Amino acid sequence: MANSDKPKVTAEDLENLIEIFNQSAWDELHLEADGLEIFLSNDPNALAPRQASGAAASIGTTAQVVAPSSVPATAVSLAGPSGHAPIAEGQVAIRAPNLGTFYRAPKPGAPPYIEIGQQIEIITEVCLIEVMKLFTPVQGNVRGVVRESRARDGQMVEFDDVLIIVEPN
Amino acid sequence: MPIARVLSANRGEIAARVVRAAHALGIEVVQAVSSADRDSRAAQFADRKVVIGPAPSRQSYLDANLLVHTALQTGCDALHPGYGFLSEREHLARLCADHGITFVGPQAETIAALGDKLQAKAIARAAGVPLVPGTERIASAHEATVAAETLGYPVLLKASAGGGGRGMFIARSAAEITASFDKASNEAAEAFGDGTMYMERYVENARHVEVQVFGDGTGKVLHFGERDCSIQRRYQKVFEEAPCAAMPEALRQQLHRCAVDLVASLKYRNAGTVEFLYDVDRAAIYFIEVNARIQVEHPVSEQVTGYDLVQLQFQVAGGEPLRWTQDQIPVLRHAIECRLNAEDPKRNFQPSPGRITGWSPPQGAGIRLDSHCYEGYLVPPFYDSMIGKLIVTAATRAECVTRLQAALADFDVAGLTTNLPLLKFIAAHPDFAANQLNTRWLEQVLLPAFAPIQE
Repeated sequence: MANSDKPKVTAEDLENLIEIFNQSAWDELHLEADGLEIFLSNDPNALAPRQASGAAASIGTTAQVVAPSSVPATAVSLAGPSGHAPIAEGQVAIRAPNLGTFYRAPKPGAPPYIEIGQQIEIITEVCLIEVMKLFTPVQGNVRGVVRESRARDGQMVEFDDVLIIVEPN
Repeated sequence: MPIARVLSANRGEIAARVVRAAHALGIEVVQAVSSADRDSRAAQFADRKVVIGPAPSRQSYLDANLLVHTALQTGCDALHPGYGFLSEREHLARLCADHGITFVGPQAETIAALGDKLQAKAIARAAGVPLVPGTERIASAHEATVAAETLGYPVLLKASAGGGGRGMFIARSAAEITASFDKASNEAAEAFGDGTMYMERYVENARHVEVQVFGDGTGKVLHFGERDCSIQRRYQKVFEEAPCAAMPEALRQQLHRCAVDLVASLKYRNAGTVEFLYDVDRAAIYFIEVNARIQVEHPVSEQVTGYDLVQLQFQVAGGEPLRWTQDQIPVLRHAIECRLNAEDPKRNFQPSPGRITGWSPPQGAGIRLDSHCYEGYLVPPFYDSMIGKLIVTAATRAECVTRLQAALADFDVAGLTTNLPLLKFIAAHPDFAANQLNTRWLEQVLLPAFAPIQE
């Protein structure tokens, strides 16, 4: 992104910036300079201004670096899910068909539906989503190799959240 | 127990209103949103937002299981249903109660009883509240003419199994009953398999008035005055005001007493509205129904009494008693609300969703805007078309009308079509200023006059 004949923003610059932000009373910081765009927010659900309209998707990861430190410590945290990370090229996401509690296995103690590296078919069941004691298995709807599991067992996922990353074949 | 964290289970302006009211009381808010409402004001204001489903209401705001699951998983101890959607469904209130979530509204049994029209009327009758005078079943045209003498003309004859206007007619004389009775009864028999007819007094000159009530669940009930919501299009309210300036004081006292007696008989809990038909020519009121929720038009009652009714909802739901007496809730001013909708008056009020490219609301003393909109906001096509409520307040109705006209003139919205021209036309109409109107005025007098200037 950055222009090669101009001084590059270093990791140290970013750390300093995040430090300044953390010590401030600001809710959000949005900076654009030399083709680089940085968005910091105390809101774990915040979207970078451009990300909301579909561009600059990688900026979102910066926001997540900052977010955890400001999450209030209550019995059930108000922090949202952390999984807005981008999806690599050549990979596809299996997303939550509805809100609910995510389970990797059909029941406690049972082996998980899928493992990393496993080949799955269109109709392979990949996880379970529970809403008020109603358990619904989710099918992959994709043929490929499981590369990553983004949702945590027993955690609430929102509609359209990324659950599992698959490399189609 | 005071509420610590609430799930706001609605959208639009009421969700934004609920978030603000909760925050004012130190209550944390988790905002449930559909995927179409990710960027909504309520979602921005809330401490956390949770995407509960896709845009269609059926898979999001109308799914009680999703809402209660979300409340439980995010550590909420209460749920505010707003208005519309599931706000008056017994199922949601019961589901909340069964899972230890405080429902910010009436008890499930109350919602069920009042939601059944026949049961609601029986409750009203038992509490001594007048209903539209009418008859039991009527067997013949002759029987109908005898009954009509007692009720007084005009009368409305209806098929007891009916609906949709079939088998229904208005009669202004015995001759008109004789001419139409058999035909209507036969029509009902053909349409519903039952030709049974009954009769009600027909109110020609009617206003819609309603009383804002609040109960603490022990039988104590306070009212926050009445509202006049006579300006309606297809049973949708367009303007609402408080108080009902057209009502004589003695009748107003009776109106308030009826509303309080009715809900007190149920040991009503939280906010509710008792709706009445005001028969202007006979100076009488008749019970219509109870809305067991906060209503769209609640701000006019707040403006004239000075109480925040949504905050009060949270306080009462959290177990606080209603610590006031009725004389501590005087109606001191006049307030008028009008509903700004994203709809096109030129195209038969078709909804006109889209992106708001300019949003410049009026400001100043006595002007309040309850809205979730802002410049750049996309009004999604999936829901109600209301984008805001403009509420003006002044010492008298006359000053209020003038203030409303000025406020509407200062209101600029760009990017989508709104009913603003209609609101301005109503506010400027001499009948409105003179308060010479009834529930049919908008459709029969105003819209025919408004249509030509739209060309």
